[in-house]
Amino acid sequence: MNRITRAAITVPVVGLTALLASAGPAAAAEGSAQADLTPVPVNPVNASGRGEVEISGTTLSFSLAAQGLLAGAPHAAHIHFGESARNECPTASDNNAAPLPGESDPHEHFTTTEGAPAYGEIVVSLTTTGDTSPSSGLAVDRFPVGDHFEYSRGDVQVSEEVAQAILSGKAVVVIHGVDYDGDGTYSAGDRGVSDLDPSLPGEATDPALCGVLNASQVSTQPVGAVAAGDGSSSADGGSALPYVLGGLGLTAAGGAAFAARRSSRATA
Amino acid sequence: MFAAAGMAAVVLLPQDISGPVRLDVPVAVDAAPVTLTPDTSTRVPGPTSPAAHSPRLPASDPVRVRIPALGVTSRIMHLGLERDGSMEVPPGAYPVGWYDRSPTPGQLGPAVLAGHVDWEGEPGAFYGLRELRVADIVVIDRADGTVATFRVDRVEEHPKDDFPTKDVYGDIDHAGLRLITCGGAFDEDTGDYLDNVIVFASLTATG
Ligand SMILES: [Cu+2]
Repeated sequence: MNRITRAAITVPVVGLTALLASAGPAAAAEGSAQADLTPVPVNPVNASGRGEVEISGTTLSFSLAAQGLLAGAPHAAHIHFGESARNECPTASDNNAAPLPGESDPHEHFTTTEGAPAYGEIVVSLTTTGDTSPSSGLAVDRFPVGDHFEYSRGDVQVSEEVAQAILSGKAVVVIHGVDYDGDGTYSAGDRGVSDLDPSLPGEATDPALCGVLNASQVSTQPVGAVAAGDGSSSADGGSALPYVLGGLGLTAAGGAAFAARRSSRATA
Repeated sequence: MFAAAGMAAVVLLPQDISGPVRLDVPVAVDAAPVTLTPDTSTRVPGPTSPAAHSPRLPASDPVRVRIPALGVTSRIMHLGLERDGSMEVPPGAYPVGWYDRSPTPGQLGPAVLAGHVDWEGEPGAFYGLRELRVADIVVIDRADGTVATFRVDRVEEHPKDDFPTKDVYGDIDHAGLRLITCGGAFDEDTGDYLDNVIVFASLTATG
């Protein structure tokens, strides 16, 4: 017991350094990701949007904006991910991969279900209030409304798996709601009922905008500028000049090289 | 390569560029054969291939930075964030710090190093940063034993109240390096320099 304790205390002097060196920034899920949202193929959408996500452990905050979607109507919005999905936005070749209930003209409508092989299932519901779990996926009374919206939320809880998926660029933001027939509202029309919920028109749930969440290379951007000097070498700083650097050869050589360059520039 | 510099006292007049710069380092010429007559063997040609083919390295912490043109060598420590969200800075003139929420130097993206221009009367590791020129090299030794060599693309100076956050920290299509220090006039009231000097560089060789 005593030996173990002692070892535990003395070894980490080196061990800790190695640990810190190897652990790096990727150890905890920490970072941010962004998605530029563009229209899914097939569907008549002339809109754009952007989603931004920040993750700290299993806490997620997000902001979502879109313009050009159907005015006056709610737009369900989610983060999608699937272990076996392609982790990307669907392409036209995903259309009609399988015939679907409620889709009367399969060539002209691209449904949420048809996109699933690309982006997987709902893992976060980007609601404006309340629950954000997949079970709120069609909570149309808690999604943003209109042709121009922007909102953000914090404190969304996600699983570690989802946090990792997002930070490794595998999650996809999808905003739904397509007015195929241009009647200004979600109606059954030629589209029929939703493949997700037969009590809703397909127009209300078909995907409109999609974008893969790409993790930022710098996981957390520092705020503002960098305070990298104390003024002790500036003329205004008023401290003793010139410097006398002594001792270490390395520093001296460095100073010499630097001085040489300065003088060369001054006479150039 | 610097071992030859035995005895040494260097007198610098940092603010007086036009005045004489007195070197009291007899061995300096041997010790620092740097850049005045560019040594082509240490110059790396600029990137000519598209970004997709630009070199990359897997993640490995940086341990040492060398800037031959300035004769600077420094150990590298980790930097995080201050409570106010700004970047930590090293506790003294040396060492240089790597912002550990940026990619490690050699990985895709902007690896960020910060060093002081001065500290308590001493020139800091990045004192000479603004003197760097396009095509100068910056060499990073990494914990995995690999060496990442970067080529300076540009040197910029920006007011701190107009810091180019996106250019410095935003995503890029290659393995990049940013060296940040202070510059411009010193504001006695705030105890801060008014500008940041930022060197932008790209990975050109790995070994
Ligand atoms: Cu969705």
